[in-house]
Amino acid sequence: MNTDSPVIEIQNLVRRYGKHEAVNGLSLAVPAGKCYGFFGRNGAGKTTTIKCLLNLLQPDAGQVRVFGLDPCRQEVAVKSRLTYVPDQVAFYPWMTVQDTLEYLASFRTAWNREIEADLLRRFQLDPTKKTSGLSKGQRTQLALIGAICPEPELLVLDEPTSGLDPIVRREFIETVIGAYQSGDPGRRTVFVSTHLIAEFEGLIDEFTIIDQGKELMSMNADAARNRFKKIHARFPQVPVLKLAGALEVKRAGREVEILANGNSDALLAELKSQSPEELRAESLTLEEIFVASKVLKPTP
Amino acid sequence: MVWQIDFRSGTPVYLQLVDQVRHAAASGSLRTGESLPSIRPLAEELRVNRNTIAKAYAELENQGVIETIPGKGCFLKEVGSLLTKTARNDLLMQEIDRAVVAAHHLQISDDDLLSLVKKRLETFDRRNKDGNNSPNHP
Repeated sequence: MNTDSPVIEIQNLVRRYGKHEAVNGLSLAVPAGKCYGFFGRNGAGKTTTIKCLLNLLQPDAGQVRVFGLDPCRQEVAVKSRLTYVPDQVAFYPWMTVQDTLEYLASFRTAWNREIEADLLRRFQLDPTKKTSGLSKGQRTQLALIGAICPEPELLVLDEPTSGLDPIVRREFIETVIGAYQSGDPGRRTVFVSTHLIAEFEGLIDEFTIIDQGKELMSMNADAARNRFKKIHARFPQVPVLKLAGALEVKRAGREVEILANGNSDALLAELKSQSPEELRAESLTLEEIFVASKVLKPTP
Repeated sequence: MVWQIDFRSGTPVYLQLVDQVRHAAASGSLRTGESLPSIRPLAEELRVNRNTIAKAYAELENQGVIETIPGKGCFLKEVGSLLTKTARNDLLMQEIDRAVVAAHHLQISDDDLLSLVKKRLETFDRRNKDGNNSPNHP
């Protein structure tokens, strides 16, 4: 595989359930070695898209490529190089933690025993315990161990941390960074769908926001934070301002709050010319960008 | 040193880390020969992408601030070489801000403040020429 070619490439993907178009013309590309965020509200089409990557569903139209391969035709070749943690994990209830890991390892050509032992210790999971007796958090931890030990080139996570307590969520993300990412960096790609965006903020290199089955916005995370800013200003008197090009302007007497899209310097200059008592600009976080994405949508 | 990331600053995360190391070096909280944490634990602690830390360290190495000794880690190089103009300016700026605020409270005009600064610079200059390194108030 050419290292420049994307690990995941989706072009004009359409997938319907009856007449309902769950995914409706989605395109995105995930470069190798990046952590790619896939954000959307419930029902936006995230899980349907992920299932098309794994051949759990087949596209009605458009094209999906993983490692440059078609998951429908070359399912084994694709799946042998990736692992997947769904939001609801299920194991055979009669198996112990260790049985489950042995079972998962039997499908894999590689299995890192050192990482396995390390993570079992870190999560304080008892290898002799039956999976039926595990809590939701422990189940997710077991699924994560199963996903990391094969040292895959691509780790697909679908809402992995929803419904977990904050400590388990934190450990989950630390494990993805530590145990997964510390391998060969060019061959460690993460594709994560989540709406707990704040927790993944530092991990995300690039992201796509999906809404009603369509791409709303795809950006580099640093570039997005640099581009979208909230400016707050307070003046001695009610100011007269044009604020051309502001995405959103909220006024409350002598105070003004503005959303800027890449033009914060010009807006700041206009505000400064009115001698504000207070003036500050801060970037939107990825979560705020997601919440406001319909307003923020950059001109195509 | 204590690391901090602010997603609201608008500065790319790796550059925030670069700036922090340079400031730590300039202010003395990191000394020549002291080591930086290795990439994995720092990435886990800050919960940022491992690549972001690697990029920051590569940039610091490029700028000659740190050096990597294979198998041992990253170390701060000699201090003199890494006090970049921007880092030094930033540190001085804080002192200047204090003086500007004080002048405002004492109702000293901008012009008077500037001429006072100039006067002090001249005083220091004269004392240096006379071979006296500890100028006093006139």
